[in-house]
Amino acid sequence: MTTVMAADADVIHDRRSRARRLGLLLAMLLICMATASLAMGAAGTSLWYALIDLVQGRTLAPVDHAVLWQIRLPRTVMAIFVGAALAVSGAVLQGLFRNPLADPGLVGVSSGAGLGAIVAIVLGASLPAGLAGLAGPHLVPLAAFSGSWITIIVLYRISTRGGQTSVATMLLAGIAIGAITAAGSGLLIYLADDQQLRDLNFWQLGSLSGSTWQRVMVAAPIILVALMASPFLARGLNALALGEAPAAHLGIPVQRLKTMAVLVVAAATGAAVAVSGGIGFVGIVVPHLLRLASGPDHNTLLPNAALLGASLLLAADILARIVIAPAELPIGIVTAILGAPVFLWILLQRRKDLVL
Amino acid sequence: MTFEGQGISVTFGRRRILFDVDFTASAGAITAIVGPNGSGKTTLLRAFCDEIPHDGTVRINGRNIATCDAAELATIRAVLPQSVMLAFPFTVSEVVHLAQASRAARPCADLPRRALAAVGLAGYGARRYQDLSGGEQQRVQLARVLVQVWEPVVYGVPRWLLLDEPVASLDIGHQLMVMRLAQDFAARGGGVIAVMHDLNLTAMFADKVVLMRLGRVAAAGRVSDVFNDDTLSAAYGPALRVNSTPTDGSLFILPHSAA
Repeated sequence: MTTVMAADADVIHDRRSRARRLGLLLAMLLICMATASLAMGAAGTSLWYALIDLVQGRTLAPVDHAVLWQIRLPRTVMAIFVGAALAVSGAVLQGLFRNPLADPGLVGVSSGAGLGAIVAIVLGASLPAGLAGLAGPHLVPLAAFSGSWITIIVLYRISTRGGQTSVATMLLAGIAIGAITAAGSGLLIYLADDQQLRDLNFWQLGSLSGSTWQRVMVAAPIILVALMASPFLARGLNALALGEAPAAHLGIPVQRLKTMAVLVVAAATGAAVAVSGGIGFVGIVVPHLLRLASGPDHNTLLPNAALLGASLLLAADILARIVIAPAELPIGIVTAILGAPVFLWILLQRRKDLVL
Repeated sequence: MTFEGQGISVTFGRRRILFDVDFTASAGAITAIVGPNGSGKTTLLRAFCDEIPHDGTVRINGRNIATCDAAELATIRAVLPQSVMLAFPFTVSEVVHLAQASRAARPCADLPRRALAAVGLAGYGARRYQDLSGGEQQRVQLARVLVQVWEPVVYGVPRWLLLDEPVASLDIGHQLMVMRLAQDFAARGGGVIAVMHDLNLTAMFADKVVLMRLGRVAAAGRVSDVFNDDTLSAAYGPALRVNSTPTDGSLFILPHSAA
């Protein structure tokens, strides 16, 4: 009996230390994937030879320098941030909605960003020349980011009455707003010409090919702030698993938790979707896999989700670049092809455990 | 030190659930709230926890809870809900540890294990909460609540256990176990307020009974004052007979004796 009871005390530490060890593994995986991402690409530049050159004090050939510094490195950094943002947003939303199937699409962030992008692509040409010139190639990301924020603010206002946000209202209103934005997008698609349709299609399928340092400098800080805020949600999200009232009785300021969670998700997903388009399944699959591996404790789930999300998106981006090189697959296709079967497999494996 | 509700009224939509309820519970005692289904017992408890909008004031140890924030309240009272559906596959041990994450509980690694042992779930720590039976889940929640207010009195100030039907899904052995835990908490100076359905357990353990009917307090006082044929029959409907044991005169009510 006493040995059994002693074992009790260790159980929680077991899962937690397993999650920490997993985090270490994931960090190493991330380093490997990032290196691979720098090493691979359509151009014949070799990271290995470039490193040897650098070590021996030789200057790189201008082409190699450009490929590594201006193409592969910003793209790799962007994939890390976008992957981490999508995975952490998924985990936070699932905790907030107490539903393992929630993802940023549910609260209208993705559809709002999509509408913003479509507005920019279709109507951008008819903007006054000065304004269009000012935004230049960043018009679509800017519009997408604004679109995601406008929808989430509207949604938050709709579902907040008397200082209390109803998560259930938010879920349902999110579906309604998704339908409205889809209608708006449909209308604009109807108006679009062929080239615009093509641009649109590619945006919706997602890609990291537009990653420049300039965009990294804008998106990465926003995502970084959201990622650094997320650990402060962990304790509250854990308590929220009991329900809102029990969480409040445990001393969690539930309303502040909801507001912060929505802000984190809007910032992270908004910035990620703005620079990369619609990339699905990372937000659902990553937290799921991690819960299976090391339990649902958000203290370890959130940082591990950032690491695994980044690695997964790097892997998907590498595949997108090399499968049909020198052309590129949209990354959204790769994440869907990889993610959907994994997701189905999880559902079938753990059917009895799934709590909806 | 007392737990006080003054003029508590609750309205859902157009339906008034509670009408100006006044309530007092003392620390060091078990106060039971009884009454037929729909009489407003649980609603009253939820108003005490500020879970639902209500009129009137609730004072714990003299402090109006409207002026306290969640973290502060968590240090002086813990609440056991009727049942908890867990959203994710946490283990029993992790669920009990949630109480320690709150500032209320002083971090003491040993408490969750001791609380689980106290509710008869020693060795269950590694089990998944969702795999347990309803009664076991209820006891895990009780362990969590106990960890939150482990010491019934801190710096001379009593803490409060608010229990919503704590024994509803338990077998008779565990019913007695849980009621004795509550009794022990009260004996050591804490306050217990419990919504109860079982009149016999109430008669055995409660120091004070508040009988609710149609959203109002029908009777309140010591068990011997409230539990008589007329009062209970008027509240519950059928003509009930209150009997007493020949040995120590404690009260019991058998459904067989109802007319």
